[in-house]
Amino acid sequence: MSEILYFDHAASAPRRPEVAEAMAPWQTGIVGNPSGSHKAARLARTAVEESRDAVAEFIGAKPGDVIFTAGGTESCHLAVVGVTHAHRKTHEQTNILISPVEHHAVIAAAEQIADHFADVELRFVDVDADGVVEIDSLWKNVDFNTALVSVMTANNETGVCQPLDAVSAVAKGGVPGGAVTHTDAVAAAPWLDLSVVTSTIDLISICGHKLGGPVNVGALISRGPVALNAVVPGGEQERGKRGGTVDVAAVVGLAAAVRATAADRIETYERVTDFQTRLSNALSLLPGVMVTARGASLLPGHVHVTVDGLASDEMLFMLDQSGVCASAASSCSSGAAVASHVLAAMDVPAVRAKGAIRFTMGAETTAHEVTELIRIFSGVVHQLRGDA
Amino acid sequence: MSGGVDSSVAAGLLIEQGHEVVGATLKLWGGASDSGCCSVADVDDARRVAQILGIDHHVFNYTEEFERSVVTPFVEGHAGATSPNPCIECNRHIKFDLLFQRAERLGFDAVATGHHAQVLEREGHHYLVRGEDNQKDQSYVLGYLQEPILRRLLLPIGAMNKDEVRQHAERLQLRTWDKPDSQDVCFIEASKGRSIFLGQRISLTPATIVDQVTGEELGETAAAELMTVGQRRGVLPGRDGEKRYVARVDLQARRVEVGRLKDVLSTKLKLDVNSLSFARDALANQTRVLAQWSAHGRPMEATLSFDTTWSLELDAPARPVAPGQTVVFYREDEPSIVEGAAIVTS
Repeated sequence: MSEILYFDHAASAPRRPEVAEAMAPWQTGIVGNPSGSHKAARLARTAVEESRDAVAEFIGAKPGDVIFTAGGTESCHLAVVGVTHAHRKTHEQTNILISPVEHHAVIAAAEQIADHFADVELRFVDVDADGVVEIDSLWKNVDFNTALVSVMTANNETGVCQPLDAVSAVAKGGVPGGAVTHTDAVAAAPWLDLSVVTSTIDLISICGHKLGGPVNVGALISRGPVALNAVVPGGEQERGKRGGTVDVAAVVGLAAAVRATAADRIETYERVTDFQTRLSNALSLLPGVMVTARGASLLPGHVHVTVDGLASDEMLFMLDQSGVCASAASSCSSGAAVASHVLAAMDVPAVRAKGAIRFTMGAETTAHEVTELIRIFSGVVHQLRGDA
Repeated sequence: MSGGVDSSVAAGLLIEQGHEVVGATLKLWGGASDSGCCSVADVDDARRVAQILGIDHHVFNYTEEFERSVVTPFVEGHAGATSPNPCIECNRHIKFDLLFQRAERLGFDAVATGHHAQVLEREGHHYLVRGEDNQKDQSYVLGYLQEPILRRLLLPIGAMNKDEVRQHAERLQLRTWDKPDSQDVCFIEASKGRSIFLGQRISLTPATIVDQVTGEELGETAAAELMTVGQRRGVLPGRDGEKRYVARVDLQARRVEVGRLKDVLSTKLKLDVNSLSFARDALANQTRVLAQWSAHGRPMEATLSFDTTWSLELDAPARPVAPGQTVVFYREDEPSIVEGAAIVTS
């Protein structure tokens, strides 16, 4: 592919070469089933456990508390549904509290189980205009039936970070015995040290491909024992929490991705933060363009804007014609841009939400690409406004 | 691009003609669908065709506009005992309006579709003409198009019959895209039908079916909104054994009147003046036209006339036309050329 300006890292980050290299030996020839007992199985099992060690270190958890899954969506699903089922065994009423800006992986899982069982109630905590959860609202919504509080580490559309320590304080302090906390750290994982920012959270979801690793692999990591039922039971893989043969190549790829991410995190963070400042400043000068949640604590890779009176579809089309890959932050299965539930929760007016564009950067982004993006997007806005 | 063979071949032919082509599929309906042009499966089909043809493909979301301009009027029409044609409204408000505006903003010279119809250019003017394939002609659903749109419209398969289109599809190696033509309203699931769709949005009116001939009650209907003037299907014969047709639907009185064919035949269609649209010049009072009021209906000789309001005087009596239906006028001397369209009021 030539002439691509890739500003969609949050959708899927470029595959890191060290990931492909690490996976290669597990992609051809004999790959033992890690649950077996012979030599090939032992080799595979060793690779899986080394990968588990790497993921545990990345999160600051114990290797035995890492459950490999087939991605971020499954990790979130296992957290929400697994905790709910475990709670239902010992309680007559089970309440789940989540934020309205969660990824659909969390929202849809919670809605599905609340629809299915009359004794499960789903509650949404209020967020402010930046999409940050309001702690007062958390306090109001927890009670002694609260099983789970799930708030993402940072939002995948806007990049806005959440006050997880405060969330934990309410979940533990406001519920007798303490509610289980879960955070979807998929979007934050490339940027934040999860061993620090999620240190008070019980369950953490991550996935491979936002880190330059393979798609279809992720992990749900717990900090110590958490009552969690398997959602897909089967063989006793992953300590009975997730049935199915572990994909050796995939978890090796995930491990390579987390190691590489951790190794260059600080350097990348600083460099991309400069790009973010430059991009936000430049785009905010364009007519009708407003940078979303500028005052909030943001992941450095995100620059989310709304453009008054213009349609995301049209801007994306023109960006694409110029080789810029970006997104409207939210798209349905058909590929059409759809109204964002995140912006709706933030009370962004519809006329602005229709013109939402998300640019996301990563370790590979260069200063030249940022300059080019500013030039191209300025042209797009002016042309669509009819003053080109 | 709907993913069907017509728009796929249209795109393929344009590429061969040397045009710089980008495929677009419109996401129109946000709800459940099992037919028509906007389900996820159809978008996937269209995307795959674009991939095979080697062109870019984009999905444009018009679900809000579709709800506002097509679905809501369809529901409200039925609530008022009229039967609007949603395909025509979609063409008029979405495909040949919003999409054209968008194409212009995005810098495109023309928009092409896979409709079976043609654009004729004559002395600097553009006319919509029936498709070459009589069986497939879609000029009726495009009846509202006017010169500014026709000027920028390409209809690459309009001069072909369906067999030729399929031959091109095979030649372009699109032969897997032999989907059956969509026939139904795209936002209504065929498995559930109109009554369930409407029943979820408005309260349907049970009514008594009364024979105009004898005055007797012939039965009941659960939903008078679904009885269309002129309809025979589902209407029981009268006691005399003769067929009956819906003559009048009165929602307030909860009454549907049926009559014999000879009783319900009519020679005059009143037209909604606000809907009256001409392809180019306005037609004068007493212009002779050929009028067609369903997608594949037979064109009928008629005179467009203005009294206190516009109406269409038919040469020969015809089964009544349901209020809300669109009638398209074709030229009497050149019967394939569209001259205008209007909505029937009664």
